[in-house]
Amino acid sequence: MSIATQQAASPPATGTVQKRSGFLSRIVAHRTDYLYVLPALIVMLVVIAYPIYYTIELSFFRTPPNLQMRDKVWTGIDNYVRVLSSPVFHEVTIQTIIWTLASTVISFLLGLGAALSLHREFVGRGLMRALLLIPYVISAVAASYVWKWLYHSDFGVIGAISVQLGITAEPINFLDNRQTVLASLIVVNIWKEFSFAMVMLMAGLQTVPDQLLRAAQVDGANTWNRFWHVTFPHLKGVSMVTVLLLMVANFNSFIIPFVMTGGGPADASHIWITHIYQLAFGRQQWGVASAYAVILFIVMMFLGYFYVKALTRGDEARA
Amino acid sequence: MAEVVLKDVMKNYGSLYAVNNVSFAVEHGEFVALVGPSGCGKTTTLNLIAGLIPMSGGDIVIGDRVVNDLDPKDRDIAMVFQNYALYPNKSVFKNLAFPLQMRKLPKAEIEAKVMAAAKVLDISHLLERRPRELSGGQQQRVALGRALVRDPAAFLMDEPLSNLDAKLRVAMRSELKRFHHNLNATVIYVTHDQLEAVTMADKMAVMHGGVLQQYDTPANVFGNPVNTFVASFVGSPAMSLIPLDVVSKGTEVALRSPEEGWELPLSPMNARKASASSNGKLVLGARHSTLKLHKSAAAGAAPGKVYTVEPTGDVTFAQIFVNGAVVNISLDPTVAIEPDEAVWIEFDQDRMHLFDGETTMALKAA
Repeated sequence: MSIATQQAASPPATGTVQKRSGFLSRIVAHRTDYLYVLPALIVMLVVIAYPIYYTIELSFFRTPPNLQMRDKVWTGIDNYVRVLSSPVFHEVTIQTIIWTLASTVISFLLGLGAALSLHREFVGRGLMRALLLIPYVISAVAASYVWKWLYHSDFGVIGAISVQLGITAEPINFLDNRQTVLASLIVVNIWKEFSFAMVMLMAGLQTVPDQLLRAAQVDGANTWNRFWHVTFPHLKGVSMVTVLLLMVANFNSFIIPFVMTGGGPADASHIWITHIYQLAFGRQQWGVASAYAVILFIVMMFLGYFYVKALTRGDEARA
Repeated sequence: MAEVVLKDVMKNYGSLYAVNNVSFAVEHGEFVALVGPSGCGKTTTLNLIAGLIPMSGGDIVIGDRVVNDLDPKDRDIAMVFQNYALYPNKSVFKNLAFPLQMRKLPKAEIEAKVMAAAKVLDISHLLERRPRELSGGQQQRVALGRALVRDPAAFLMDEPLSNLDAKLRVAMRSELKRFHHNLNATVIYVTHDQLEAVTMADKMAVMHGGVLQQYDTPANVFGNPVNTFVASFVGSPAMSLIPLDVVSKGTEVALRSPEEGWELPLSPMNARKASASSNGKLVLGARHSTLKLHKSAAAGAAPGKVYTVEPTGDVTFAQIFVNGAVVNISLDPTVAIEPDEAVWIEFDQDRMHLFDGETTMALKAA
C-alpha cells in the first residue's frame, strides 16, 4: 500500500490532537518507512547509545578492583574532581594538544606540498604517488613495530646513521627519554597520515578550473600568485574537511603510542585515549576512566559540530 | 591598440595537427571572429595568441613585437573566457583590480581605473558583490571589465556568450558590438555560432580541421564561399549542395543528375566555370532565398520531392529532395505544399555557386 493511500485511509484528526501529536501521527502515517530503518536504529541503540549511557553512569561510581562491577560505589562527581585536579590529567592534556596540533598541521602542510608537486606532469609521477601512499595503507601496528626498531637505541638504524655521520656521539635514546619520546611518536604519526591529506588535496586540486588559472596567467599572476589567489581559495573547503578529519583522528589516536611506548616513560607519551585505556583496562579504575571518557566525548562533540558545519558549508558553496 | 599578425602558426600533438599553417592579419581596431565547428582549432588558435599553450611553429606578432616566446602576461592582451573565469572568492572590485594589482600599480590608480571600467560597463553598483551573487549577464560584464581595465593591445574572447540564455545572448551581442565600437578595440573572438560571427565581426576566419578555410568580411564569406565547407557552415538555413555531372554539347554546357537523368542548362558564365571542373563532376550550391518553387515542370528547373514544410510565421521553410540531396528553400507562407508532393526548383543562374566535385573548391571561370 502506498503512503498516499495510507494517509487518506487514516481517520481525520481534530486540529488540537493533530497539533499535539503531529510528530507521532507522522510516524504512524509513514510506519512502513520507519519499519525499514528500525533494525539499524536498534543496532545503533545497542552499540552506540547504551555504551554512552553506561559510560556516563559509571563515571559517577567508584569501582574498587577487588569488587564486582555490580558492587560499585556511588561517589557523585568525585571522579570528575579527581580527574580535573590530577597533575597527570594536565600533563596528558597538554601532550594530547601538542600531539594533535603538531600532527595535524605538519601532516596537512606536507600533504599539501606533496599534492602540489604531484599535480604537475613529470616522468615517474605514478610511481611517486604510489610510493607516497604506502605509509597510509600499511597496517598501523606493523608500522609502529618497524619504527620502534628504527628508533631502537642499540640496534636502531636512525641512531647508527647519526653516529656514523658524526651528528651525535652516541645513539639517541628516542623512545626512553621524556624529552624526545613525544616528538618521535609525532614523526611516526605524520609519516603515517600525511598521504591522507595528500590524497584529499590531490582530489581538490583536480577541481580547480583550468580557465581560472589561465585567466590569472593572462592577468599577470606568477606561479605563487596563481596558487595564492586561485588554487588555495579553491581548496579551502577540502582543506577544512581534511584538517578536521585529521584532528579528530589524531585526537583519537591509540595504536602508535600504545604499541611503541605504551604511554611511557613515566606517562610522557600518553595521550587521552591511551591514558583512558590504561586507567580502565590496566588499573581497573572504571569510574575514573569513564569520567575521562565523558570529558573527551564532550570535546569531540565540539569538534564534530565544526566538522559537520564545514561539510555543509562546502555543499552550499558548491550549489 | 595594435594589430595582431599570425604567420604559418602551427600546433601539433604528435601527428595530430590542431592548428595547421594558419596565417591572417588583424588590423588595428578590427573585430575578427574565429569561427568553425567544435574541434576545428579555433580555441587552440586563440590560446596560441594568448601564449597559454606553446606553439609548434610559426610567428605571432602583437603590435610591433614578435611574441612567440613571451609569457601571456607580457603579451599585452586581455582575455574573456567562456565561463567568465571570475575569481569566486573575490568581490567584483577585487576581480577588476586583480590584473592591475599583479602589475603593481599604485592603489589610487587601480581604484580610478576600476571605477572607470565599472562605469563604462554599468556595474558600479555591483562592486562589493561576489561573482556567484551576480546574474549571467552581470558576470559577463565583470569579465569584460577585467579585460578592459588593463587597456590591452588586443582583446581575446573565447565564446563569451555561449553560457547565456538565448535572449540575453542577443542583448549582450549588441553590447559587445557597441563596446568594440566605443573603444575602437582590436578584438579576436572565438565562436562556433556563425550567426554571432556574421553579425558582429568586421572579418571572419572560418576554420575546419585546424586549417584556415577563408578569411574575409562576413559579406564576402557569405557571398563567395571558397569551398563547400564554408558554403554549408555560414548562413542559416545552410546553403543547399547538390552533386551533379557536367555534360557538354558543343558550346552548350549543362548539369546532369547522375541518378535521375534530368539536365539543367547553364548560363555562358556558369558554363565557363563548370568547364573548369577537374573530373567532370561538380557541386551546385544555392541559398534558400535564391530558389524559386514551381508546381509543374518549368524550363531550367530541377524536379524534386517535398520532404518537410516548416512555417515560421512570415516565411515558410521547406526541405526538398533533389537528386538525393536536401535542398532548403524559403517560401511565401501563402504557398501551400504537402510532404511527398512533386515540385520543380528553379535556380538563379547569377546567384548560384559551383564547386569542384573533387577538391570542393569554388570554381572560377577559366
